[in-house]
Amino acid sequence: MTDPLLSARGVTAVRGRRTILDRVAFHVLPHEILGVIGPNGAGKTTLFECIAGLQPVSFGLIDGAGPRQLFYVPDAIRPWPDQTVRWTLEVTADVYGVNVDDALVAQLDLARLQTQFVRSLSKGEVKRLNIALGLVTPQPMLFLDEPFDGLDLRQTRAVMELLRATVDRGRTLVLSIHQLADAARICDRLLLLHDGRAVAEGTLAELRDVACLPGADIEEVFLALT
Amino acid sequence: MRSRELRVVLRKDLAELFASRAFWLLLLFTGLIAGQSFISAVELYAEASGIDGGAPALAQGLSPLDGILSPTLGAYDLAIMLLFPFVAIRLVAAEKSSQALKLVLQWPVSLRAQLASKLVALVIAWLLALVAFGVALVLWTSYGGHLDAGETLNLLMGYTLRFLLTMSLAMAAAAAMPGAANAAVVVLAFTIGTWALDFLATGRGGWIETLASYTPASALRTFERGLLRADVVAVLLLLTLALLVLTAIWLHPAKPPRHAIAQTLATLAMTLALCALASRLHASADLAEDRRNSFADADVRALERIDAPLAITLRLAAEDPRMNDFEREVLVKLRRAMRVTVRYPYAGRSGLFDNDPRYGTIEYHLAGRDAVSRSTTPDIVLETIYGLARVPMPPRGEPSYPGYPLAKHARGAAVVFYALWPLSVLLAARGAGRSRRTG
Repeated sequence: MTDPLLSARGVTAVRGRRTILDRVAFHVLPHEILGVIGPNGAGKTTLFECIAGLQPVSFGLIDGAGPRQLFYVPDAIRPWPDQTVRWTLEVTADVYGVNVDDALVAQLDLARLQTQFVRSLSKGEVKRLNIALGLVTPQPMLFLDEPFDGLDLRQTRAVMELLRATVDRGRTLVLSIHQLADAARICDRLLLLHDGRAVAEGTLAELRDVACLPGADIEEVFLALT
Repeated sequence: MRSRELRVVLRKDLAELFASRAFWLLLLFTGLIAGQSFISAVELYAEASGIDGGAPALAQGLSPLDGILSPTLGAYDLAIMLLFPFVAIRLVAAEKSSQALKLVLQWPVSLRAQLASKLVALVIAWLLALVAFGVALVLWTSYGGHLDAGETLNLLMGYTLRFLLTMSLAMAAAAAMPGAANAAVVVLAFTIGTWALDFLATGRGGWIETLASYTPASALRTFERGLLRADVVAVLLLLTLALLVLTAIWLHPAKPPRHAIAQTLATLAMTLALCALASRLHASADLAEDRRNSFADADVRALERIDAPLAITLRLAAEDPRMNDFEREVLVKLRRAMRVTVRYPYAGRSGLFDNDPRYGTIEYHLAGRDAVSRSTTPDIVLETIYGLARVPMPPRGEPSYPGYPLAKHARGAAVVFYALWPLSVLLAARGAGRSRRTG
């Protein structure tokens, strides 16, 4: 097996009396798209933020995490609402010493929005901007929380193509995905979280084996394991 | 970390500052109230100098430090207390509420550097606001007014230290509190708390008066007297640094609350200890051109030669005007020349309903000898001390401060501050908005 880029073992996050993550273990392989799926409140966002160093980890070990290894784009953020789309992209690119790729801006349909203030963008436009911010960064791993939330069908397909092309160019993606059909379509492997625990990890075929449901679709596997 | 990353972060913070309407409003109002204060001060100064044909006040009493600089900068005190904190809070809280902070914290720039960048952006805002004060100084000198570099720079330093302290408090409040409104309440509560402390501590002596002497308002009064005290500068800087450390502790969401509380308590304990040490610094410089914080040189030399410490018992209530006279005209100068301890038996009492025949007396104890006097006049106090120390009274020369009367109206100032200033601020705000759109 290829050496993983990131390995998490026994990651536990306790907030007050509530255990949000309970001994979660998984790994991220190079050049894959790993989908983290699970019902609402399963701990997907907490897991991402613990790995990105934005939330405290109560116990556990994470190998391969760090600001040089990964960049995380949270869901539902509207960064610097009083600045323009172009400024937001440029300031992120400049801090890493890279240029904003105009092809990327065009692929995410942001070219016509470049002089718009971030506060004036719709939910889908902000989502595309946030994906662009993640893709501008140079780290080998990119964690995107709900990258398709707020996008219509065409935009979802376009973003999926873009993300696949990014992986083909050598980057590794970890996506938290609410829509199971989207996850099945784009992810190489899946990590299923339920009640803060990692219930299963592997390809869809491997998850079917765990659920003892050969030939089942992702929704049936999900329902069987959660 | 390379300078490029730091430059980008500073560019981001400046862009956020200039995108804030609060900043442009602050600039507008600060200029207006500074201008209004300056115009009133110049007119009053002209009256005192006899512009309306009356007899001029004693020329020696006319000092630009009291007459022009302090009132004009007084407008900035209002801005520091009531306007600037909102700009500082916005700079931190906006990134928290938009969650841009989660992106920024992953950048290859340390949190310390990011906070330093925000502070630099705020200092730039402060310097821009001070342009109105600079304009006032130019107008004053164009009228023929006198300025002394030492006392002017000392006063500016005092206001800048007060600014830095309030900004770091605002940043710490924005980092620790959920929401900008809560942070604003914390900053205003702190300001009101320091006023209450000032009021409570007046004439009480002891640790509470020492503590109150470092509140922003008290510290500023020291600079307004033209006095540069090492202990005041050190305590203000230590408090500013401590608040920046607290900002860093509370801003990072990955810190468990228990750790943040423990680190906060440790920071506060260390700051308290360092401030206690700093309060023992006695070095000071009298930068007032009229040397109001010093006895005549001959007296200073004579007092410095007295080895024994002087103990004073001041039987005056805090509200008694003689108390204020004695503090300003005698104690400030004595403390700079010799070791003095003061007892305040009337601390916390009004003195109005006491039948103590000793009320109003000032007892001096030096080298085993005692003297009692009711005078708060510096010459008589000095005579008493020399008598106790068995030291002959030194010969004194005439005071050398000539005073700087100026019987001139504030011509043109209204146009500058009420028309040109708002227009310039509006144009600059518009230009900044346009450049944001065009990049």
